[in-house]
Amino acid sequence: MANKRNRTAGLVLAAAVLGILVWRPTVLIYGLQAAGLYASIAIPMGLILGIVHIVNLAHGEFMMAASYLTYTICRASGMDPYLALLPVAAVTAAFGFLVYRLTIRRALKAPELNQLILTFGLAILLTQAANLLFTSQTRKLSFEYVSASVDIGDLSFGVYNFVFVAIAVAMVVGLRLFLTRTKAGKAALAVGQNPRGAAIVGIDVDRAYALTFALASAMVGLMGAVFITRSSIFPAVGSPFTMKSFCLIAMAGIGNIPGILASSVLLGVSENFLKAFRGTREWADIVFFVLIISVILGRSIRGKKA
Amino acid sequence: MKRTATYAAAAIAAVVLAVLPAFLGAYPLNVARSVMTYMALAVSWDMLLRSGQISFGIAGLFGLGSYASALLVLRAGMDPVLSLVFATLLTGAIAYALGFAVLRLRAMYFSITTLALAEIFRIVLHNLHDFSGGPEGVVLPGVIFGGAAPALYWLCLAGLAITLGTSWYFERSKLHLALTAIRNDETSARASGVDIFKYLLVAFTVTSTLQGMMGAIQVQSYGFTTPETAFDANFTLLPLAMALLGGIHSTLGPIAGAVLLGIASEWLKLKIPYGHLVVYGIIIVLVILLMPRGLVGLARNRRAGRRA
Amino acid sequence: MKTLQTEHLTKRFLGLVAVNDVSFSLDAGEILGIIGPNGAGKTTFIHLVSGILMPTSGKVLFKGRDVSYAPAHERARMGIARTFQLIHPLENLTVLENVMIGAVFSRRQSLREARRSAEGICESLQLGDLGRDTASLSILEIKKMEIARALANGPEVLFLDEVMAGLNADETRQMISMVKAIAKERGLAVGVVEHVMGVIRELTERVIVLESGELIAEGPYSEVSKNPRVIEAYLGGAA
Repeated sequence: MANKRNRTAGLVLAAAVLGILVWRPTVLIYGLQAAGLYASIAIPMGLILGIVHIVNLAHGEFMMAASYLTYTICRASGMDPYLALLPVAAVTAAFGFLVYRLTIRRALKAPELNQLILTFGLAILLTQAANLLFTSQTRKLSFEYVSASVDIGDLSFGVYNFVFVAIAVAMVVGLRLFLTRTKAGKAALAVGQNPRGAAIVGIDVDRAYALTFALASAMVGLMGAVFITRSSIFPAVGSPFTMKSFCLIAMAGIGNIPGILASSVLLGVSENFLKAFRGTREWADIVFFVLIISVILGRSIRGKKA
Repeated sequence: MKRTATYAAAAIAAVVLAVLPAFLGAYPLNVARSVMTYMALAVSWDMLLRSGQISFGIAGLFGLGSYASALLVLRAGMDPVLSLVFATLLTGAIAYALGFAVLRLRAMYFSITTLALAEIFRIVLHNLHDFSGGPEGVVLPGVIFGGAAPALYWLCLAGLAITLGTSWYFERSKLHLALTAIRNDETSARASGVDIFKYLLVAFTVTSTLQGMMGAIQVQSYGFTTPETAFDANFTLLPLAMALLGGIHSTLGPIAGAVLLGIASEWLKLKIPYGHLVVYGIIIVLVILLMPRGLVGLARNRRAGRRA
Repeated sequence: MKTLQTEHLTKRFLGLVAVNDVSFSLDAGEILGIIGPNGAGKTTFIHLVSGILMPTSGKVLFKGRDVSYAPAHERARMGIARTFQLIHPLENLTVLENVMIGAVFSRRQSLREARRSAEGICESLQLGDLGRDTASLSILEIKKMEIARALANGPEVLFLDEVMAGLNADETRQMISMVKAIAKERGLAVGVVEHVMGVIRELTERVIVLESGELIAEGPYSEVSKNPRVIEAYLGGAA
């Protein structure tokens, strides 16, 4: 079912992408780059939603915190963020584990309302803590390699952001291997599909949740480190990504991680499509939201009929 | 007996609040207005929550009301007082129309969609330069009632009174049964004859109207607004934290929470200019984990414990 | 004209047929048993009749009127009431308020009238201390409250979905006579889903048997229980 939907969506996208490629290549190139960024932030959130069945409304804020951590380390040591990547991911994994143990776990059995408000509160806490520690001033690290570009004929474009596409694809492949080949991954997948059943066959559900949370936090921490190589950061930098990530997941369908790639391409390309015209440039954001709301609505109505 | 005491307490509180301007200067009145605004938003948020739907879009409707009122004055030359009425009704009408789509969603889908709607409103008003003034916002020809501090205070108090009265009505009419039944179990509510969509639409429209009204009052009291101030996320965040701290699913809880946090935040704002809102994050997290029924729930438990 | 009737009622969920071509009727003053092995589609059938689910095809007729696609709350108002197997007593309401809901929203009574009629119903079911929180109720009290909630709709048709489950022998006997008395006093058409065959034997005049969503037998319990298809269905279900 999900496979078939992915294939149809893929075909439609491929056709649209081909059309745009001929007409205006930069729209496609920048669109794909944006898609890579969106997808690689959304995938860890999708992992948590698919397995722990919790919307982490502090997801973007986890990334923001990781970016500030990277910033601090690199500022102090002069290190390149790519060298700080693994330590940062380790720290955020530990942080995610702690957040799960101290807060999320206690709210698992509570009504969904409590879970939503809890993670919303965590988001505020992280944003404001960043405000307190770093003020709302934007921070930036500059690197030359970020401005690398390629010329093909008349066409000149930045290539650095393709790193996000690589990360997104690596995440999808890596998760797939983890969830189907390793014991811990298989256990997590089983827990995600049927927690009670998994508990009956002897899987430690709590451990699987904790592991999922830590893993997703490590992934988003890694993204935080890479994010600061190209973007300036400020305390609220993460919050749009929380919303966008959730919407991308809702578009793909909860539990359909490869589908996140497709929905991200759709968004990235259509945003850049609008940005290509002066008249519609500033409406890029809104079309994004409108698209997302219609997809969520369409989905929920269809879900009701089934 | 108990009810008489409640009415008496409410009457005394009303009288005290009404005569407050005679004793207070401009700054305390300003603080009081801010607390009352947040209180009205907290109570209105809670009214919808009683049906089990969590809105993250308070700021969206608040901002919509602000802009509607400001633009009615600027573009249609309407009298400011009249614009309050029309802006309130307009927000309600927009919410009613949106309700037909949004209220088909539940749980996280509903919450996130309300958040996204608030964002859409902000972007639209941000981008419609000629109509809404774009990112620079709008400046009104003057502040309502010539900017007299007591008059502004009374206006805000009136908005709060309307909100509290509506919430009180919600608690005592059949809406209370309908919304609580929906929150507990939609299927069995339907089997008892509750038209779920109708009652959700009523609750969503009414609470959005109240939020729009407070936004309209706010913009007329300050004389200007921008997309960033009208749709400030704090208008979502603070009321939510207040209602949670005080205790959800009641009128009294959000009132108590708003008084406590409203005054605390004015004080913290002076002490810690950047990031004083971290306190709100901590409160939300701790309250949800440790006392999900808030202060009012805590007091009720204690009283029940003493009686037993 | 029968009080309630279905014609070729069918419900499919993504390829799985939960209720398949079921035609039956139920008359005022009658108590009908609905039996069948686990997963036979009994609860789905009640969902279809009460409007919680909409049929894929077929019809539901209430007093000759086609209500197949009427929403649940409208059917409740017309006079189709039911209890639920997995009971979620409305936690933030008292026992009395729980029962009032049906009176307020199905019978369109004012809060004051609803309070009075809810009190009457609870009294007839010997359900006391109505100001209590539902969390403190015993199983028997919860079941009684479920029935009271359904009766508050002022129904002509009442479906009871496993109201005896979890009760001990004494309580079951009490409940059986209570259901009989209610049906008689109010002239209701009652449909009872039950697993305990003793209850079905004592309570009902006629039963229908569902298996894999299909109606495989109909008649008095004494006859149906000897039907080889029914015996096989139960043995097959147990194996």
